[in-house]
Amino acid sequence: MRKILTIATREYRAMVATKAFLLSVTMMPLLMFGGLVTMEMLQNVGEIKDLKIIVIDHTNQLYQPLNLAAKLRNKLYETDEQTATDSEADLEASGIDPKLLEQLAGDPQNRDEDDDFGSFSRGARFLLERWESSQVTDQIRLELCERIRNQELYAFIEIPADVLTAELPQSLEDFAALPSASFYSEDSTFSDAKIWFGQVINEFAKQYRLKELDIDPILVAKSSLPVRVRGMGLLERSSDGSIQAAEEKDDLSAILLPLGVLMLMFMVIFMAAQPMLESVLEEKSQRIAEVLLGSANPFQIMTGKLMGTVAGSLTIFAIYLGGAYVMAVYRGWTEYIPFGLIPWFVIFQVGGVLFYSSIFMAVGASVTQLKEAQSILLPVWLLLMTPMFIWMMVVREPNGPLAFYFSLFPPATPTMMMLRMSTGATIPVWQPILGMAVLVISTIFCVYVASRIFRVGLLWQGKTPKVNEIIKWAFRG
Amino acid sequence: MTYAIELTGVTKRFARQVAVDQLDLQVPAGSIYGFIGPNGSGKTTTLRMILRIFQPDEGTVRVLGNELGTTADDRLGYLPEERGLYKRMRVRDLLIYYAKLKGNYDCRRDIDFWLKRLEAEEWKHKRIDALSKGMAQKIQFISAVVARPSLVILDEPFTGLDPVNMESLKDSVRWLRDHGTTIVFSTHDMDMAERLCDTIFMIHKGHKVLDGTLDSIQSQFPANRIRVRFADPHFEPAPIDGIEEGMFTGRYYELTIRDHQNLQPVLHQLIDQSEIHHFELIRPSLHDIFVRIARPDQSELLNQ
Repeated sequence: MRKILTIATREYRAMVATKAFLLSVTMMPLLMFGGLVTMEMLQNVGEIKDLKIIVIDHTNQLYQPLNLAAKLRNKLYETDEQTATDSEADLEASGIDPKLLEQLAGDPQNRDEDDDFGSFSRGARFLLERWESSQVTDQIRLELCERIRNQELYAFIEIPADVLTAELPQSLEDFAALPSASFYSEDSTFSDAKIWFGQVINEFAKQYRLKELDIDPILVAKSSLPVRVRGMGLLERSSDGSIQAAEEKDDLSAILLPLGVLMLMFMVIFMAAQPMLESVLEEKSQRIAEVLLGSANPFQIMTGKLMGTVAGSLTIFAIYLGGAYVMAVYRGWTEYIPFGLIPWFVIFQVGGVLFYSSIFMAVGASVTQLKEAQSILLPVWLLLMTPMFIWMMVVREPNGPLAFYFSLFPPATPTMMMLRMSTGATIPVWQPILGMAVLVISTIFCVYVASRIFRVGLLWQGKTPKVNEIIKWAFRG
Repeated sequence: MTYAIELTGVTKRFARQVAVDQLDLQVPAGSIYGFIGPNGSGKTTTLRMILRIFQPDEGTVRVLGNELGTTADDRLGYLPEERGLYKRMRVRDLLIYYAKLKGNYDCRRDIDFWLKRLEAEEWKHKRIDALSKGMAQKIQFISAVVARPSLVILDEPFTGLDPVNMESLKDSVRWLRDHGTTIVFSTHDMDMAERLCDTIFMIHKGHKVLDGTLDSIQSQFPANRIRVRFADPHFEPAPIDGIEEGMFTGRYYELTIRDHQNLQPVLHQLIDQSEIHHFELIRPSLHDIFVRIARPDQSELLNQ
């Protein structure tokens, strides 16, 4: 037993006390959630850009409201008090209903609620400039495009004369017949400015048309007020017999939490199993295996290594859990932490780590090079990755047949069962218990088979055995 | 006499190939025992059976009085050829680990003793992959002996060492023997085997071909060379009856003779040519014997 502990301790230290471990512990979540986080961070840091946009307004009516709306919008990024006051004065002078304009400008604070992560260019001011000449030829358009290429200009938009006045089509389907404005920029597909122009012009066009039809815009706005449909959790009877009110669910707990749990399980298993492959390969290629086998039997070596890796994976879990908790407290999300899931997570994690580590060790013992291991491990990878491909379907239907069967398929059980449980849907308690039993049985089988392959493979030098030969080792010894 | 290792009728097959065939072997306790043999002759397989990594298909392997058993023996130390160290571990941590694996949990004093003895103290906090080949070889040696084994098996322990390091390692091997440890080592360096081993064992194609002290082995092989020094160092002897080939080694002429029973006529013919200061019949070196046995055509002859 003491030898097993000695081996486990070394394995744990080899896994945890390295720079590579620190790096991967920090890098993995960055890689997985990094896109979202960096986007959010980027728009909060750094300078606010000034985007210069030329407006070719053939209607002669839209430039002024657009410019005011842009100024109003820019106010939110204005650090200079004077400029802010100036634009306010401009607004009063224009005589346009400030409520309407405010709506047009698109208040970022309101938009925050619609869209959690926003986009890059919200940290930019739009500086509009009117194109004075009414004659616009392709030559002029080309020159403007050249200015965009030279970075003198961010974009230009051309609004045809009849966008407001065009006759409305008979049927709604014929909307394409209406004239359209053209927005030119290097990133026009994703440009926030393009979207903003669309919103402002459309709102203005709506007001204009309503006025033409002699309809009170306020009445239309009021009658368009939405009826909200709230997604609710299920009512529960609490321990004292009273019925607990249902809570409103939101995106965060419905999507981010299951995704986070899935990613965490995947990362923990991956980070625990991969070093096993490398350590066994090193022991084999450096002929350390012979020293080990001369000091302990294969069972002790394998058990020690598995214990070390489980301890390592629990360390990773603790680090991430701690990190998640700190972040949750910082952002006020503590209510979302599913404390009840933690014991289940630990159980499935240990099972999953043992399951995959033993496979990785067996493969590491069978081959002589990392490259060969990778080709043998491809199907194993796919098994581990499957939940990544279907997680959305499982989140939508946590008790559907796909989710149910996959969560009882041992290689997918740790990730799938946790994914299902973290959706908050009621999973009959026998299912995780059955999943656990299936996992335990298959893990025992897996460790047993792997230890037989491990014993033969460790001393195997020379050419890499074929998969069927490896299987033969497992059953004939 | 007590034996540290006793192999009786041991056979080991891999698939259809017989690696070791009906091998009998006795290693006296407290001696230095050299294993020689060409590559692929069954040396490593035999060592692995002694280490209990392999089980023999036939016969018995008795090590330190224990027959059979699959559990590794803590009284055995093992140094595999060249490698055998975790590259990313630090010297001291690695030695502690290997000592503990062999059941020596209170190993700090032993580690310090060996690091000092092999003048390796300043490396103890270095990582293995920062060591030179010779340094790594010394650390590897320490890792094999740090748990105070009764029997040490060293596979090619002297490759990659400069003469100074080699001497200090040889001294350590002798020191171990003088303190009661049995040492089995395999080597391709015949000179080393001649000078260090009490007993030499040679395996070829899975069979034992030599086993005994250097004297007893040499006495099995007739001396077929003479060494001659002439008074005139620049003198070149003319071809003589009974001499097959000759070469000048700097001070001596070494001549291979056809018939060692009939030296007198050769000596007479040499005296006739020039004045002689030195004349000696030389016994075959282990190197010569090895080559005689392992050279393909010669070994065929030997088997007949």
